Amino acid sequence: MFTVFGKRIRLFRPRSIWVRRVVQWVFFLLIAFISVNHTLAESGAGIPVLSSASLHAVCPFGGVETLYTFAADGLLVRKIHDSSLVLAGIVLLLSILFGPVFCGWVCPLGTVQEWAGKLGKRLFKRRYNHFVPARIDPVLRYVRYGVLVWVLYITAMSGTLIFESYDPYFALFNFWSTEVAWSALAILGATLLLSVFVERPWCKYACPYGAFLGITNLFRVFSIKRAESTCKADGACSIMCPMNIPVDAVKVVRDHQCISCLECTSEAICPVAKTVVFSTGGVK
Amino acid sequence: MTLTSKPLALIVLVMLLGGIAFSSSMGWWTTESSKQPATFEEGEFAGQANPADIRGSYTFGDIAGSFAVTPEVLAQAFGVTGEDSSAFAIKELEAIYLESGYEIGTASVRLFVAYYTGLPFETADQDIYLPRSATDILLSLGDLTPEQIGYLEKYTIPTGITAATLEPAVGLSPLPVDSSAPASTEYSVKGKTTFGELLSWGVSLEIIEGIIGAPMPDPAMTVKDFASAGGLDFETLRPALQMEVDKVKP
Repeated sequence: MFTVFGKRIRLFRPRSIWVRRVVQWVFFLLIAFISVNHTLAESGAGIPVLSSASLHAVCPFGGVETLYTFAADGLLVRKIHDSSLVLAGIVLLLSILFGPVFCGWVCPLGTVQEWAGKLGKRLFKRRYNHFVPARIDPVLRYVRYGVLVWVLYITAMSGTLIFESYDPYFALFNFWSTEVAWSALAILGATLLLSVFVERPWCKYACPYGAFLGITNLFRVFSIKRAESTCKADGACSIMCPMNIPVDAVKVVRDHQCISCLECTSEAICPVAKTVVFSTGGVK
Repeated sequence: MTLTSKPLALIVLVMLLGGIAFSSSMGWWTTESSKQPATFEEGEFAGQANPADIRGSYTFGDIAGSFAVTPEVLAQAFGVTGEDSSAFAIKELEAIYLESGYEIGTASVRLFVAYYTGLPFETADQDIYLPRSATDILLSLGDLTPEQIGYLEKYTIPTGITAATLEPAVGLSPLPVDSSAPASTEYSVKGKTTFGELLSWGVSLEIIEGIIGAPMPDPAMTVKDFASAGGLDFETLRPALQMEVDKVKP
């Protein structure tokens, strides 16, 4: 706020949802410590105060992968534990209330992609995150549902975590282990490389868990809402959206790709107060 | 109702961490398996542990806790020995046999345990390999079906491939898995010869039991110890057993 010719003028400065970054760091470090401690514990050198659970035990997607086996036989898929089911339940509840906040606030693979994306933003400025042709991009966004169906099918048929061999999340926190397949490491490498051009490429095009949680965008309780009556139609919300959702073209964001990061809201990029909000109920 | 980032952050943290704490207090939060395989739910084997549910994190000791097979037999079958074979984790097998070119791992142990204990196990459409030492023990039991014998003939790794040149697991040493090169280089029955060795050399269970006049004890037990425990003279058993060994290993 400053004064020009006797008038008080407020300059708009885009803000960031800094608390989201704090939460992302917390979960990244937590999972990293658990994963390292699991390796140490296997050789008898684990740190007692830390959990030495396996990465599978603290991954909520495992709870989704094992659902068929659990329903059909009352068993869990190998390497999956009850904790995965608990986490899957909590994350599903969070998603029904607030959309896929797990993707935008918790998932360490999403966090790492964002970190790689900072380099891309520096290199390509406004071109960053706009490399994929608009003709094919919407179609590619549905590929992750194909991945989801494939993962659920092969897991149900085999009773084993076959997806582990292709999972960049498993590779990220076990790259030092002989348990990681080269295919998973290659996919992790490709994801990080593509993140320099496209924001969250794995989340957008391939993540089966993101696809699963994305469905909750259709009926979630809290949604991103835009008040047309106060909207200046500057398109800032759409430009800022990491998932390229045209927020300025809708009143309520129901896009299956929304990750509830809040970067499009009036708390962050939107210059008009109470115009893009995260709320229940209707908007003007 | 409108939410901003800080309350949302708090809700996410509280629901995730609080949910874990709550489930933990309810006993739902388990991050390790019980090391006990699931049991058959119906049929002739209802209530018995299912070999198909053996997992890579199990040790030979864990398996012995659920199935009628000792850690020593498993160690001998898979060419692993050491001071404490019961602590050997079966997921280590793949590394031991890595250079063999054949996948010997958790599935191999499941197959071995199923055939050894006579429990059902589905092998259709699966390529599960066993080392020669494991196959020899199974064949010596003498109660496999023709289909099972056929499967073993097809999926036993060729003679000559051993684990001997491979890195041992922690505290354990791999043994040769080739039955033509057993732990004792000669096929002679001595004081330290175990019943497991007799089986692996090809002497059938029935013949052994016929000679000792009793059900075969733990395969890890030496013939001499068995004789002492039963008040028998080892030297009366040894020639008969040696004769049978000579028949199968001339």
